[in-house]
Amino acid sequence: VPAPLIDWRVVRAAAAFRLAIPRTPLGGLVGERLGSGSGSSLEFQDYRPYAPGDDLRHVDWAAYARSELLAIRLFREEVAPRIDLVLDISRSMVVTEQKLRAYGELSGVLACACASTVADSRIITTGSVEPQPLRVPEDVERFLLCDAPLSALEETHLPLRRRSLRVVISDFLFPHDADLLVSRLARDSAWLALVQLTLREEAEPAAEGSRRLVDVEGRGHLDLVLDDAVIQAYRARFSRLRMGLSTAARRAGASFAHVVAGTPIREVARGLAAAGVLDPA
Amino acid sequence: MIFATPWGLLALLAVPAIVAIHLFRRRFPVRAVAGLFLWQLTRLTPEGGAKVARLPITPSLILECLAALALALILAGARLSSSGISPHLVVLLDDSASMAAVNGRGESARDRAVRRVTTELDRRGPSTRVTIVASGERPAVLAGPAVFAADARSALDRWQPEAPHHSLALGLRLARELAGRTGTLMVISDLPAGAPEEGALWVSVGEPLANVGIAAAERSLSPTEGRGSVALTLGNYSDAASHRRLTVSAGGKNVLSRELDVPPGVSSLSLPLPPGLPAVRVALSADALARDNEVVLAEPRPRIVGVQNRLRDGRGRQALVKALGAVSGVSEADSAQLVFVEAGELDRPAAPGVWHVGFGRPPAPWLAAGEPRDFAGPFVLEKRHPLLLGVTLGGVVWPGATPLAAAAVRPLASAGDQVLIGIQGRATPATRLDPAIVFNVDLARTNLIRAPDWPILISNIVEMRRQNLPGPERWNYRTGEWVRVRLGRDPKGPLHFRCGPVERALPAGRDLEFVAPAPGGLLQILEGNEVRFELGVNFLDDTESNLRQQVTSETGQLTEAAGLRAESGPASDPLFWVLLAIGGLSIVINWCLLAPARHSA
Repeated sequence: VPAPLIDWRVVRAAAAFRLAIPRTPLGGLVGERLGSGSGSSLEFQDYRPYAPGDDLRHVDWAAYARSELLAIRLFREEVAPRIDLVLDISRSMVVTEQKLRAYGELSGVLACACASTVADSRIITTGSVEPQPLRVPEDVERFLLCDAPLSALEETHLPLRRRSLRVVISDFLFPHDADLLVSRLARDSAWLALVQLTLREEAEPAAEGSRRLVDVEGRGHLDLVLDDAVIQAYRARFSRLRMGLSTAARRAGASFAHVVAGTPIREVARGLAAAGVLDPA
Repeated sequence: MIFATPWGLLALLAVPAIVAIHLFRRRFPVRAVAGLFLWQLTRLTPEGGAKVARLPITPSLILECLAALALALILAGARLSSSGISPHLVVLLDDSASMAAVNGRGESARDRAVRRVTTELDRRGPSTRVTIVASGERPAVLAGPAVFAADARSALDRWQPEAPHHSLALGLRLARELAGRTGTLMVISDLPAGAPEEGALWVSVGEPLANVGIAAAERSLSPTEGRGSVALTLGNYSDAASHRRLTVSAGGKNVLSRELDVPPGVSSLSLPLPPGLPAVRVALSADALARDNEVVLAEPRPRIVGVQNRLRDGRGRQALVKALGAVSGVSEADSAQLVFVEAGELDRPAAPGVWHVGFGRPPAPWLAAGEPRDFAGPFVLEKRHPLLLGVTLGGVVWPGATPLAAAAVRPLASAGDQVLIGIQGRATPATRLDPAIVFNVDLARTNLIRAPDWPILISNIVEMRRQNLPGPERWNYRTGEWVRVRLGRDPKGPLHFRCGPVERALPAGRDLEFVAPAPGGLLQILEGNEVRFELGVNFLDDTESNLRQQVTSETGQLTEAAGLRAESGPASDPLFWVLLAIGGLSIVINWCLLAPARHSA
């Protein structure tokens, strides 16, 4: 019997976090979070002149008595935030067993964080399939087959909701322009968090001699002698890719975290908190 | 360390080859990556060609070099100890029957020969290589070449001398060839060395003994008188008369017993036998040599030639009747095998198996243009033809010789270009050739019928026909003689003969020919399971029966030769197994243990 992909006991023990939701008003359905518009909560927001058709119950009669002007009391809207959890299910996420397990644990932690936030959470894996609701953290496990030839982030359209909280998990190991990619993900979002998961040897490969490098997503192969010079060049390119993502995220007001597979999940959670992706619950 | 095949060291070139492969060959084990594009802008080949890198000392390199080294040493025949030089003794054994003669103590020359060779083998030690040759008309190698002493001893135990008298020269030549420059030659015989054999030790293990033996034997049958007989020639090879008991038995039953006093020298004896007995066994009581005390004699069956005289009445017919009357084994018969006719009838169809002899003017198809002529010689005769054996035609007048067409007959006697006697083979439906003999002569005018050549010619014709009748040429043979048997038809089953312990298959054919096998006895020729002929094969060698010349002596000496480089197999050296283990383990570890690790990497 194969071992379960995610050890939920360990994940839940490490998942004493929730998403680091911003303090700015959010969009969403009626809920317990203050929304960006006026609503029916008890928290006073502002006045505005009465207009025919307004609910007379909201007229501030005391102010009318003082100023003889009809004014309507506006209250803050209470909303339940929308969360779009974008998962990269391309084959590159399971290039090794270690990466697959690390991906599972990372997704589990973030799914727990989503669940601890009362929100309308959905999982997006591709633009061609309707997003699936995330009701319990265990739902995330169904999406980790990772047999897609392309990452969802490479698709031109993703069914992201307006003013949603967006969490993107990927290795970002595909050709891209970081600014364009991040700005596309951040467009009309309330909040964006990018989590990059890579293997240690993907981030810091070592000289191994001659190797035939085969792309797991079918992008060809390359015969290379992995000597010191090649490794240094690769590391520089990988560093530029990561820095590009980080810089682009800062520009877009998003959070960015880099997770190395094999890191204990508690440390991963703390790292995500340090990067502003999670908040202690 | 010694190398049996130093050229095998060339295989060591595999070691630098392996190093070079490891140094220059780029292996590309597959590795799956997620972001190939990050690698793609890297320079694939360093500028200025390949970069000399330090040789990676990997376990694979070490194991491969180790395997190549071990296999190269195995190929080179590496061994810790020398292969050794073994003395090589070549023994020529006199295989003549006299070696089996036993003395009063029951010991034979063969026993002394075996003991002498065994003593020599013991003296030389177990590493000695031995070749044993038995003499004879066709010398044979009993053991060897160059076998171990143990194998030679078993060959000596099996050896039983039984050959007729022969020269040792052929055996000596074979033994010397086998000895070469590395072997020592020893000759074992019961006779003294005629001349000193250079470089050889001649050991005579004989002992002079008195012996009585059957030197010759013949069984005859007189059908007209209705009785048979056995004529024996006995040889007493001693200085005194010897008393012996002679017994004759047939089919397990004693036919005759007689006490004999055999005088010294050669004596004859004739014993009457009733006709129709199967093969009889004639035996003398035991003495020194048992081999010559017994003969088996088959009853001869006379081959009667049926003749028919169809010549016209006249001088010729009368002369033919007289001549045939003087020939034995001939009978007048209507279904004759030999028919004398007028020559003009020779072109008529004839029954299979019937020979025709024609006298007079040959048939027209055979004739050439010209008139008959008379000749008084000189005559040219085909002397080798059995028809003309003993024929001279001296003083013969040959009248009426008609010219014959070229190639009509094969000439046996001619006068100038005129054929006087010719023979023609005619194919019959049975595809065998029944010859027709033509005498191109006018019998009414010739004096041939009164010449001494006439009965000789007729007798020769009859004997030629007799020789072609089915059956054996003779009924009793000596060992080593050629046995010739005419079957007269195609065999109906597989042919083989059985003679005592010897049983051999014979090639299928109308004519059988083989050597009478030793040790002799009753020889049966079988066609399938049916016994077709029973013949007698006997020793009958008075030279071997005479044991008075046997001596005990040693002449010459064993020369110390270079010895034989005895190459034992590679398995005899422990280094072979060590190298094999190293090589095998290196290959197994490299392929079975390291290869999966490389692939997984």
